[in-house]
Amino acid sequence: MLTALAPVRPSNLAGLASLMAGPRPVHFIAGGTDLLVSGRRLPETGVIVDLSAVAELIGIDCSGADIRIGSATTVASLEAHAGLAARCAALAQAAAECGSVQIRNRATIGGNVANGAAAADLIPVLALVGARLEVMLRGGVRTEIALGDFQPKTGGLITAVVLPGRALLPRSAFAKLGARRDLTISRLNMAATAEFVESRFRALQIVAGALGPRPLRLNRAEEALEGRTLDPDSLRGFMQVLSTEVDAAIPGRASHAWKRRAIRGVGLDLIARLCGLSPRDPVFEEAL
Amino acid sequence: MKLTLRINGSVVEQDADPLARLSEFLRQVLGLTGLKEGCCEGECGACTILMDGAPVHACLTLIFQAHEREITTVEGLGDAGVLTDLQAQFAGAGAVQCGYCTPGIIMSAEGLLRSTLTPSDEEIRHALAGNICRCTGFETIVRAVAAEAARRCEAGC
Repeated sequence: MLTALAPVRPSNLAGLASLMAGPRPVHFIAGGTDLLVSGRRLPETGVIVDLSAVAELIGIDCSGADIRIGSATTVASLEAHAGLAARCAALAQAAAECGSVQIRNRATIGGNVANGAAAADLIPVLALVGARLEVMLRGGVRTEIALGDFQPKTGGLITAVVLPGRALLPRSAFAKLGARRDLTISRLNMAATAEFVESRFRALQIVAGALGPRPLRLNRAEEALEGRTLDPDSLRGFMQVLSTEVDAAIPGRASHAWKRRAIRGVGLDLIARLCGLSPRDPVFEEAL
Repeated sequence: MKLTLRINGSVVEQDADPLARLSEFLRQVLGLTGLKEGCCEGECGACTILMDGAPVHACLTLIFQAHEREITTVEGLGDAGVLTDLQAQFAGAGAVQCGYCTPGIIMSAEGLLRSTLTPSDEEIRHALAGNICRCTGFETIVRAVAAEAARRCEAGC
């Protein structure tokens, strides 16, 4: 059945801007991987705009101090980009664990942000590095806002995600826990960035996802490892603090009891990746 | 709305609802029933097709999103009635049982083999993680894909 919703696939930003300036409501679809799942309905009127052909919205630029990623860049492209992996391993790792190959080939970084799912895989990493969003408003006005200031359904279009170069420390990592290893929604995920000075954790920052509606900075867990060496005692203290972070974040929630235990394992996986070690390394086994 | 799509090497012009699922259009309008609509949520992978050479879910794609894209279904990999080499590897390895999931897995495997001819077992498993088989088990499927990769490598494909 034909509907009053008109589909459009513009090939450039100018065409997109003129659509946004028109009188009809504009709905954006990037990969669309979350649009057609059960329980969601397409809008009934206006214009539905497929962003996947807009050339200016696609691509990863690592050549400058900051990393600029076009909003319609697919998750598969994030996973495969060597330059991105070298400067922000956490984002490449999160991309590689996002959905399946089929999902990653369609889903986009802008869609992941706009969708606003609490269990999104990329968002904790973007929050960790203080990502900024380039947004195009109706009338073609361009602005830049902090990730946390984005409000979906206000008519603005995310055109790019910017990772500030000053936040990209030498090491970063992502780890997640789901119902199975692959193609799984995060029940809990974590991202971290740090540097090592004389074998000690420095400038450690940790963000958890799926532990509330928004990514949560784990300040106490960071303090537990700051300045410490990688050893079983440090890790045991770190795990204890992680549980208290969950106690503070989701007291009384049905998932509280298991997440306060599960975060210990995810935390060890995260630190192992951050250090380039296997989670089966004796230092982690001894910490348990 | 009249849509122009490129499917299995042919240009198809057809009246269709541009906002319908591509999987529905391929199966019910064009009769390309190799792909299956299993879960319609992007979980099972039975509807996997190649879009510009990359595996995607036909069930999560609106028809108009396929405009000007090169769509390949399992029927487009070879000639009717003749197994492709990849399909023959599946049959030879015992990687097919009920067969419901097989076309989707074949398309995911084809997508992988178009990007690399030297995948490790881990890379094969990663590439097939979006396809669920409930009867064969995955060992034989991984062996079939590895065998086809080796064959193509040897043949210099």
